Amino acid sequence: MAVTDKVRLVSFRILRPNGLLIATFCAALCVALPLCVVLSFLVTTSSDVWQHLVDTLLLRYISNTLLLSFYVAIGVAFIGVPTAWIIAFYRFPGRNTLSWLLLLPMAYPAYILAYTYTGVLEYAGPVLTWMRAVDMPEWVMSPFLHIRSLAGAALMLSLVLYPYVYLLARAAFLQQSANLMEAGYTLGQNRFSVFRRIVIPMARPAIAAGVLLAIMETVADFGTVQFFGVQTFTTGIMRTYYGFGDTPGAAQLSSLLLGFVAVLIVLERNSRTRIRYYSDQMRRLDKAAQNLNGFRAFGAQLMCFLPILFGFLVPTMLLTSWTLFDAQMQSLWQLAWNSFALAGGSALFIVGIALVIGYANRLFPSHSLSYVTTFIGLGYALPGIVVAIGVLIPFGAFDVWISAQLAPWSVTPQLWISGTLVAVIFAYLVRFLAVANGNIVSGLSRIRPSIDQSGRLLGLSQTGVLTNIHIPLMRGSVLTAILVCFVDILKELPATLILRPFDFNTLAVRAYELAGQERLIDASPASLCIVLVGLIPVILLNRSIGKL
Amino acid sequence: MIKEKTDALTIRDLTLDYGTTRAVNDVNLALKPQELGCLLGPSGCGKSTLLRAIAGFHPLTSGEIWLEGKLLTNPSESVLAELRGVGMMFQDIALFPHLTVEQNIGFGLSDWPKSKAKARIGELLDLISLHNLGTRYPHELSGGQQQRVALARSMAPRPKVLLLDEPFSGLDTELRGRLTSEVRTILKGDGICSLLVTHDRREAFDFADRIAVMDDGHICQFDTSFNLYHEPVSPFVAHFVGPGEMVDAKVNDLRSVKTPFGVLKSDIDLGFEIGSDVRIFLRPDDLIQDDDSEHTATLVGKHFRGAHYLYEVRLDNGVLLGCFGLSQHDHKIGERFGVSLDIQHLVVFPK
Repeated sequence: MAVTDKVRLVSFRILRPNGLLIATFCAALCVALPLCVVLSFLVTTSSDVWQHLVDTLLLRYISNTLLLSFYVAIGVAFIGVPTAWIIAFYRFPGRNTLSWLLLLPMAYPAYILAYTYTGVLEYAGPVLTWMRAVDMPEWVMSPFLHIRSLAGAALMLSLVLYPYVYLLARAAFLQQSANLMEAGYTLGQNRFSVFRRIVIPMARPAIAAGVLLAIMETVADFGTVQFFGVQTFTTGIMRTYYGFGDTPGAAQLSSLLLGFVAVLIVLERNSRTRIRYYSDQMRRLDKAAQNLNGFRAFGAQLMCFLPILFGFLVPTMLLTSWTLFDAQMQSLWQLAWNSFALAGGSALFIVGIALVIGYANRLFPSHSLSYVTTFIGLGYALPGIVVAIGVLIPFGAFDVWISAQLAPWSVTPQLWISGTLVAVIFAYLVRFLAVANGNIVSGLSRIRPSIDQSGRLLGLSQTGVLTNIHIPLMRGSVLTAILVCFVDILKELPATLILRPFDFNTLAVRAYELAGQERLIDASPASLCIVLVGLIPVILLNRSIGKL
Repeated sequence: MIKEKTDALTIRDLTLDYGTTRAVNDVNLALKPQELGCLLGPSGCGKSTLLRAIAGFHPLTSGEIWLEGKLLTNPSESVLAELRGVGMMFQDIALFPHLTVEQNIGFGLSDWPKSKAKARIGELLDLISLHNLGTRYPHELSGGQQQRVALARSMAPRPKVLLLDEPFSGLDTELRGRLTSEVRTILKGDGICSLLVTHDRREAFDFADRIAVMDDGHICQFDTSFNLYHEPVSPFVAHFVGPGEMVDAKVNDLRSVKTPFGVLKSDIDLGFEIGSDVRIFLRPDDLIQDDDSEHTATLVGKHFRGAHYLYEVRLDNGVLLGCFGLSQHDHKIGERFGVSLDIQHLVVFPK
């Protein structure tokens, strides 16, 4: 039968390289670059400084990092699991409010919490002054005096990282079918036994995943440990790089840290797989929640309120009062503008790339592409300081090479890219593309292929599908992606610190500098800015969970 | 109190509320030892709530529940679910996903001596024919296998009564039919008194010795499947346990009625006043195709059932009825043929 000219035949060809695919592979190369650079130093010859490190400090870096991770693991589990348990299994006045207030400490970068508590707890600060006035015994005052320690850093990190455990554990508790607990009762087990043998083992992968995420953040933390003088991998990298000027040594330390991170990633992925088997969506537990009143309700409220009090309310009140009454801070507007413009511009750029990757995966699905996308997802696990070193080395080499090429024309050698915002934005791309990607992928996966197909069958062209279906449906996910990237970049410290142009300051960097000069009160306006903006994605997160 | 001693499970004047609605209203029910009972009813009739009350997951409004001569619960006192000796198989299977098949089955045997528990697990694995899959995890099993493990798990501690809450509803029709009979055989073999909840009459017929048909919180009739089908006590029961139609009739004398098919005789006294209007209930198997019959009917619909046809016929007076026909005959829609009644027992309801 002849094909009339009104019918356009579509031929199915083997895919040829196209813009979307090329862009996706380029993005993957960007993520791979710092990783490969850092890892390549594992096999290069050691410098003298490296030998010195191995002889003296390396053991301390390793043991401090492990010890800090261990303390934080205990801390976040100790705060996150009981609060999740209370919220999931009991009803009491204020439960709904507390359940989302418990997320607020996520708005704090740990280093800002550290600056704030140090400011209020230092020797001349209000707390210790009062304690001396009322003649508190030495052993009561001692922990306050020693807040700047490994244990103190662990406490700060636990207070801002426990929401990871809380969120995942709460979801796991809520997703357990009430029938499973009832099955336990009909098999002759009492409440405690059901809790010990069913509820906790089934939530264990989720709790483990939360703890592992918290440990990843802990080993990547620079600001807190630096300020508290705890010698870990990140401070060691910084010290080797700035103090000894030994870039290869810093890279070698970085690659060791990456090994640690790799173990964490494998463990975390493993837990995630088990969560999928363990989650059971049949009958939600909510119906079985037990009512608490009187003294027991008060106990539950108190247990949930304490982490909010110390992780959010106290530091925020301190920061607000210092900002309003005590701080001397020049050029806050300039700093805010720098930060917001940099974070906003980078976030738009990163989400743009994430959209390209998302659509490449949707339109041309293939195994290799999904591997590439998974690989990009690893970027988030890279500590900021490792990314910075991994970007600095090749960009610096490129600058040297360019300058050498331009020498015959007597062009002054300069930092063409390594000391510019290009390097900073590149590092952000490596680290935060995964975040944007996650949001875009989940947005796209909600638009099932059958929706596209029904659009096409109802007469829309491919562009029509995009404008009439995808853009309206994707708007929310894209905005969320931009916002989350924006806030993550705003809080980011070590990469910005190392890569920023010479006289370029952001809120985070300035807060770090002022804290380094012991001007903790003066650091508060910048800190407060970061925290207040950081609240927005936390509120969004809570709303998207509420919809589940 | 003799009643409680001879019966395994006794439910007395039980009323249950679900929120503000009355789910179960003044229900009485007794299961004999080793009996397989069934609560059959449409969704929302209160059957699952009743089951959960027996297990100890739903408070009583009034009445009491006894098990093997001991009071389990009344509105003021209640034995804890874990101390009742009541086993339960759940609608969503509810296997523990973090435990192997063996660990699942052995879950309720934690206070048994190790060797006895091991023997019991082995015995049950044999019973459900999964002895080589003991170390698998639930997600590695098929739906039917999971179902059987759930059964073995609930049977393991030798409960005094086993409750089954629509355990087959998630499975496809064919597997469901096979498993129901299989489970019946297993439970009969172990001699466990059981109570199944379902809305599927075929499942109830396959499983139970006696079936309680429930409607709107009441038990309408508690009887064998044969009696439910052939001697339903109410139009609801008649319709719920199988297809059939009501036909108007007039009481002729103590033991017969006048119908469009002539006078039908009953083997017992009808108990209606002579001359009063009644309805008789006719099932498709009561009406047979009979070319010699003086009554004819028009074929208006037919459903092939393999071994036979289920015809829909219209009588000359306009009444629509179901009728079985041999599948070898292939009548066309609109054709007329003779039909006659073949009734063992007349089902008569007041009009």
